[in-house]
Amino acid sequence: MKKVRNAIIFIIIFLIIFQLINNVLSIKPNAIHNFYKEPKNSFDVVYIGASNAYQHFNSVLAYHEYGFTTGLMSSDTQPIQILKYMLKEAQKRQKPKVYVIDLGHLYYFENNKVGGIHKVIDEMPFSFNKLAITKKLLESSNINKKDYINYYFNFLMYHSSWKTALNNLKNNNLYKGYLLEKYNTKIDSQEKLPWDYEVSSLNQIQEAALQETIDYIKEQNLEVLFTVPIKTYDQTFMGYINAAMRMIEENNLKIINFNTIDELEIDFSHDLYDYEHLNVWGATKYTRYFAKYLHENYDLKDHRQDKKYISWSKEYDRFTKSLKELIGESIDEI
Amino acid sequence: MILTSFTFIIFCIVSLLIYFIIPKKWQWIALLGSSLFFLFYKNFNIGTLVHILVAFGAAYFSAIFIDEYAHQKQAKWFLIEGILFILGQLMLLKYLNLFQNFLMSPIGISYYSLIMISYIVDVYRGLCKPQKNPLKCALFMFYFPILTSGPFIRYPDLENKIYAKHKFNYDNLCRGLIRIVWGLFKILVISQRLAIFVNNIYQNYLTYTGLYLIITCLFFTLQLYTNFSGSIDIIMGISKIMGIDLPENFRSPFFSKTITELWRNWHITLGAWLKDYIFYPLMKSNFIQKIGAKTKKIVNKKVSKKVTLYISLLIMWILIGAWHGIESKFIIGSGILQFIYMFLEDLLSPITKKVCKKLKINYNSLGYRIYQCIRTYLLFSFSMIFFRAASIPNALSIIKNIFIFKKGFLTNIFSLGLNKANFVVLIISVIVLFIVEYRQLKGDVTESLLKQNVVIRWTILYLLIFAVLIFGMYGPGYDETIFIYQQF
Repeated sequence: MKKVRNAIIFIIIFLIIFQLINNVLSIKPNAIHNFYKEPKNSFDVVYIGASNAYQHFNSVLAYHEYGFTTGLMSSDTQPIQILKYMLKEAQKRQKPKVYVIDLGHLYYFENNKVGGIHKVIDEMPFSFNKLAITKKLLESSNINKKDYINYYFNFLMYHSSWKTALNNLKNNNLYKGYLLEKYNTKIDSQEKLPWDYEVSSLNQIQEAALQETIDYIKEQNLEVLFTVPIKTYDQTFMGYINAAMRMIEENNLKIINFNTIDELEIDFSHDLYDYEHLNVWGATKYTRYFAKYLHENYDLKDHRQDKKYISWSKEYDRFTKSLKELIGESIDEI
Repeated sequence: MILTSFTFIIFCIVSLLIYFIIPKKWQWIALLGSSLFFLFYKNFNIGTLVHILVAFGAAYFSAIFIDEYAHQKQAKWFLIEGILFILGQLMLLKYLNLFQNFLMSPIGISYYSLIMISYIVDVYRGLCKPQKNPLKCALFMFYFPILTSGPFIRYPDLENKIYAKHKFNYDNLCRGLIRIVWGLFKILVISQRLAIFVNNIYQNYLTYTGLYLIITCLFFTLQLYTNFSGSIDIIMGISKIMGIDLPENFRSPFFSKTITELWRNWHITLGAWLKDYIFYPLMKSNFIQKIGAKTKKIVNKKVSKKVTLYISLLIMWILIGAWHGIESKFIIGSGILQFIYMFLEDLLSPITKKVCKKLKINYNSLGYRIYQCIRTYLLFSFSMIFFRAASIPNALSIIKNIFIFKKGFLTNIFSLGLNKANFVVLIISVIVLFIVEYRQLKGDVTESLLKQNVVIRWTILYLLIFAVLIFGMYGPGYDETIFIYQQF
């Protein structure tokens, strides 16, 4: 009996140390990592999307201006196939007033990359929903089936990254999910194409995944706002978006195409750092506009006087300090 | 199935669970099932099946007939027939590769072939009775843990263990798991790290000279040892959990003062096998006896004895080399060169002693012993150049380049696959290895670990386990471990 007890204690201690080490080694600071770090039921808005979400929407700035909190459940190249499951995952921890879904997802329905998959699942606690997301992500990739195991047991991937993990602990360039790095303070002059492409079509994968999500939203009676991210579009992508917008509107759900809103005053020659992402100037314009919209159209609480949310103010201060160091301008000057 | 692969871990867990869950009288059948699954895993075809049945049939029936005609002339014929049959299939499949287009040689062919030979010879010598149950006989010959890298088992030593009913034993589980983790430490933390460096240099051997090549040669010996002995640790650990103790194959070989001593501690079961089934019979053979008689007429009895001894040793060492592969690099590297070392050691030993006496060097001092160990390591590493190189000309070219020293002292050593951090991990791990190996000389390290109080014991175990998990080289980005001795 004593031996059994000892064995159980040994295994429990092992699992605790293992989990601690795994947490440190697999830290790849990203918005999803931040999403799980925040307390349960602490977000007023949950923003789901691919890289556009965490690079365009500055959650600490929105908090500073209107006092509501936004959880960015966003990572690079999230494919449309996991959208329903990401909503499910968010529901487990948060009860936001509104879910914002960025349709950048539509672009990533195939050839998903190793890094993109890891960024979604690595920080996610184990659940059957996580297994479903992992399965969908792997199906959306070209990864060899024999390597699937590395995604279900991420320790296989990260055990050797002890040196990187130590660096990651030191450098935190995330502000409640929003990423501020040297590269998004660069300016890449782009040409804005007019949104005049009429043809609309989705392929089978996109259509099925979007319909599945819409059905789920209706079934769960969720307050959802779809958005079309600002970027340069080719005709194929414009076609996807047109078709998706039609589907969403036909289902009586809301959608905003930010590419057709002139009041935003996004200057394509200045406000992007590459062809598909807003730089810090663009993101600030976008956040100010969209945060105001959310504030005015949804009953979002102002937490600025609530001590429980003090970390949001601190993160905002840290953000403004970093911004000044990086571009030499204060947020008010943008 | 690679020993450190996920498939192998699952295979072992399932095999062990079945082994302990089913009624004890069926345990050996479960073990046979696991062994056959392992044997035919990803290599099941009619050709392999026929080959294995033929080899097994030759060993099984030879033993039965040898026993039936015990002490009669026919017994010898059955013995010879059996040996020729087994050796024949080994030669055809493994060494001559005659059927390579449609028949892959099964895993462990070099191991189970020699085990089959030892079995029928032991029956012939009356050391054991043949196993009449063909399934039980098959279990002995194809016992899965030994199919990867040995050790060589013998029927008289194992018959009481392998078919016995084994209760699950917590102590065996602990000892087995500790052994497995230690094996994984050797392979994944040390051997795999060294392999990156060694492979890099051997693949571009013309680019490097001097110290780079010297370090590579020294590293390869360590890589080979940690790879081979690490896999043996895993094998022994798995077997231990089932309650089946296998013979040790290594005994801290790098603390050997001579090459002769090193080989008594390196691949022990192969050395013992060759001694019992090749060397001693050879010494007693008519061929050697005749040589002995002839040399006696020319030189004195003592020298004549030495001559016959050396001839037998030379044949044995050529066979050891050939067991690794019939390529000349193996025959020279792990055969003839080892013989030359031993021959010179024997020849020079009295002179060395005299010189030491004259120079007043204490033959038993720690300093002298360390010198001897280092000398042995260097000589062994030199011979391993032939073993590791792609061919004899490559090996000779490496040896030639060793003596070329260019300007700059290891300027780009950290750009050869192992960065500074990895070198630090490697050095610490090798120090740990040598401490454990040294401690092993004084007694079983696992036993003394288990006698420690719980805090020390668990701390050491956690450190070891997490060293493997964090610093082990496995998972994406790393090639699956190639077990050097699994290919023989």
